[in-house]
Amino acid sequence: MGVVDIALIVLIVGGAIYLLYRSLWKKKGYCHGCDSSGKCR
Amino acid sequence: MKTQMAAVRPLVAVERTVRIAVAGNPNSGKSTLINSLAGSRLHVGNWPGVTVEKKEAAFERRGERIALVDLPGTYSLSPYTEEEVIARDYLVQERPDVIIDVVDVTNLERNLYLTVQLLELEIPVVVALNIFDEAEKKGYRIDVPAMEQALGVRIVPTVATKGTGLDALLEAATAAAGDPSRYRPRRLHYGDDIEAAAKSLMAEVLRRSPGLAETYPERWLAFKLLEGDRRVIEEVGLSGIEPLAAKAAEHLLSAHGEDVESLMADARYAQAAGLTREVLAKPDVRKVELTEKIDRIALNRFLGIPIFLAAMWLVFKLTFDVSAPFADGLATVTTGPFTRWTRVLVGLVRGPDWLVSLVTDGVIAGVGSVLVFVPVIFAMMFFITFLEGSGYMARAAFVMDRAMHSMGLHGKSFIPMLLGFGCNVPAIYATRTLENPRDKALTALLIPLMSCGARLPVYVLFVGAFFSSRSGTVLWSLYVMGIVLAVLMGILFKRTLFRGESPMFIMELPPYRMPSGRSLMIHTWEKGKHFLLKAGTYILAVSVLVWFLLNLPWGVEHKKDSYMGTIGQAIAPVFKPLGFGTWEAASSLVAGVIAKEIVVGTMGEIYVPEKKETPAGPPSSLSEDLREIGTSFAEAGKKVFTNVFSTAGIASLSGKGEGRENLRAVMAKTYTPLSAYAFMTFVLLYMPCVVAAAAFKHEFGTWKWFGVAFVYQTVLAWSMAFIIYQGGTILGIGG
Repeated sequence: MGVVDIALIVLIVGGAIYLLYRSLWKKKGYCHGCDSSGKCR
Repeated sequence: MKTQMAAVRPLVAVERTVRIAVAGNPNSGKSTLINSLAGSRLHVGNWPGVTVEKKEAAFERRGERIALVDLPGTYSLSPYTEEEVIARDYLVQERPDVIIDVVDVTNLERNLYLTVQLLELEIPVVVALNIFDEAEKKGYRIDVPAMEQALGVRIVPTVATKGTGLDALLEAATAAAGDPSRYRPRRLHYGDDIEAAAKSLMAEVLRRSPGLAETYPERWLAFKLLEGDRRVIEEVGLSGIEPLAAKAAEHLLSAHGEDVESLMADARYAQAAGLTREVLAKPDVRKVELTEKIDRIALNRFLGIPIFLAAMWLVFKLTFDVSAPFADGLATVTTGPFTRWTRVLVGLVRGPDWLVSLVTDGVIAGVGSVLVFVPVIFAMMFFITFLEGSGYMARAAFVMDRAMHSMGLHGKSFIPMLLGFGCNVPAIYATRTLENPRDKALTALLIPLMSCGARLPVYVLFVGAFFSSRSGTVLWSLYVMGIVLAVLMGILFKRTLFRGESPMFIMELPPYRMPSGRSLMIHTWEKGKHFLLKAGTYILAVSVLVWFLLNLPWGVEHKKDSYMGTIGQAIAPVFKPLGFGTWEAASSLVAGVIAKEIVVGTMGEIYVPEKKETPAGPPSSLSEDLREIGTSFAEAGKKVFTNVFSTAGIASLSGKGEGRENLRAVMAKTYTPLSAYAFMTFVLLYMPCVVAAAAFKHEFGTWKWFGVAFVYQTVLAWSMAFIIYQGGTILGIGG
C-alpha cells in the first residue's frame, strides 16, 4: 500500500466521519415533519 | 420565537413586504391555503393539530414580497395551550400587516368565536370562508355582504384545495395591508358593563403608562387585564394595576354572578351565535351525512378498535402488493448491471482493488441494500398520507382514547404516536401539542415503540425470506405488538414515574374527505424523501466506515477476524438466548443504532461473498443490461396487478432478485422463522436511533428522558425476543 492509497483512505474516512457528524449531529438529522429546506427547526 | 421558513425564492426589486398571518381553527385548511397561495409544501392533514409551530412561506407578487405566516390552529386566543400561546404572541407582539382568518364554513359558529377575538386585536382582518364547496353541497346559504357589514371586514369564499377564490383573497389582504385605517375591523359590543369597566380601566392604564398604547391594542389589553390573564399582566409589568383590574372584575362578578372570563366568553359566543343566525341559512330537512353514516360504524364502541386494526392490516397488505415487485426490480438492477458497470468505471480510472471493493462491496452493497426498499417506504407513506387526508386518523385517535386513558393519557397523545409510524423524530417534536409536561414526557417515551419506516427494510428482508405467504399479517403483527406494548408500558409508567389522572379531552372529528391527488403526491414525497436524504448522507457514511471495519486490520482474510467481527463476537453471546447470537447479527444491530435501516445495509456488506467467484461466461453488454433493467420493471408492473387482485398473499416477495435473493438466501440459512421473528421484534423495540436521541434532547432540554427510553427499550426488546424465541422453541413453533 503506497502513500497515495493511505492519503485516499484518510480522505474517505475523514469525509465519512464529517458527513456523519454533519447529518446526524449538526443538522439534527432530517425528518418528514420538517420544512422543504430539510431542517427540523 | 421559532419560525420555519418554508419557501423563500430569490426576490428582485421588491417594493415592500406584506406580512400576512394566517389564523384559524384546527383543520380549517390554513396550511393547504398557504400551500396553494405560495406553492410551498407545509405539512397538512385532515386532522387537528398538524401545525405545531408557526411556519412561514414567502413569494413575490406584483413587486411586493408576500410573507405568509401559518399559525397553529386554535379555537381561541386564551393562553391555555402551546398553540394558543404561539398564535397569540405572534399576533400581539409582531403585529402583522393583516390577518387572514380561515373559517371552516361548515362549522361557522365555532369558527366565528376565534374571529371575534381576532377582531379585538384591531389588526386588519380578511376572512376566508373556506371549504365553501362542501357548505354549498350541504345546501347552506351564506349572506356574505351581511357578514361583511356586521364584522366590518372583507370576506371571500374560498376552496383552498382547489385554489378557488385565492386570488380575490390575496387581493383583499394586500389592499387591507396597504390602508389599515380603512380596513380596521368593527368593535363588537360585549355589553354595557364590560365595555364601561374596560374603558375606565384602560384610561387608568394609559394615564400611568401612555406608551403601552403603542405596544398593545388598548381595548384588547383592557379585556385581558379584566380577565386576569397572567401572561399579559406579567408582560405589561405595570405595578399597581393588578388590584385595580381585580376590583373591576369583582364588581362585574357581583353584578352578574359570573367571573369576567366566563362573562367575556359568553359575550363572544353570543356574538358568534348571533352572527351565524343572521347570515347562515341551512336547509330545513337535515340529511344524514356520509360522515355520520361511516362514523356510526367506525366509532362504534365494539367495532372501533377492530376496524382500526383491519385498516392497518389493509395498509400493510396494499403497501406490499404495490411495492414489493418494484423493490425486487431495483434489487436486480442494483446488484446486477449497476454493480457490474460501477466495477468497469472504477477499473477505467485505474482505481486500486480495495477502492473497487469499497465502492461495490461497501457503498453499493450497503446503500443499495437499503435503497431497494424505497418503493416499499413510499408506498407505506402514500397510504398513511391517504388515511391522514381522509380524516380517519382523527377517528383512530378517538377509538384509542379509552386505551390511552388506562395509561393516564388521552386520545390526543395518540396523534403524535400515529405520526411515529412515519418517523419517530417529528413525532417526538409533535408532543408539544400536549398541554402538560407529564403528558409530553410520557407520550415521547412511548413513541419509539411505534414502528417507524426505517424499520421496514429489516422486516421486508426477513418477511421475504421466511413468511412470504403471510407477509401482510406478519408485518401487521409487529406494528400491533408495538401499539400493545406502548399501552402496557404506559400503564407501568403511570404507576411508577408518572402518577396522576388523565385530563379530559374533546377530540374534533373532521368530516371524511377524499384527499386531492396533488396533496397526496406532495405529502407522500415530503414524508418519503428523507429516506433518500438519509441514504445519501449517513447511510452512505456508515457503509463506508463499516467496510473499513470489515477490512481492518488491513488484508484480514476473514471478516470474522476484522475489527467489526471482533466487536460482533464480543457482543454476540448476549443475543444467543434470543436465537441470533452470531457476530453478523450483533454487528448489524450495533450499526443500526445510527438508523434502523442500517441493520440491512450492514448485513448487505457482511454477507457479500468473501472470495469472488469468476463469473461464468463473458460479461454482459450495455444493451443486454438495459434490456434486463427494462424487463425487471415491466415484470414488476405486471406483478403489482397480480398481487393487488390476488387473495393468496404476496407472490412477488418470493420472486427473483439476484443480490437480494442472495442476502435472503443467506438469511434463510442463518435464521429459522422463529429466530427471524425474534430478530424483527428486537429491531422493533431496541433503543431509539441517534436522531431520535437528539430530538429527545432538543425537545426536553435534558438527556434524562432519552436515558429512560434507552434503558427500558433495551430491556423490553431483549425480554420480548427472549420470550418469543424460548417460548416458541419450547412449544415447537417455527424452529
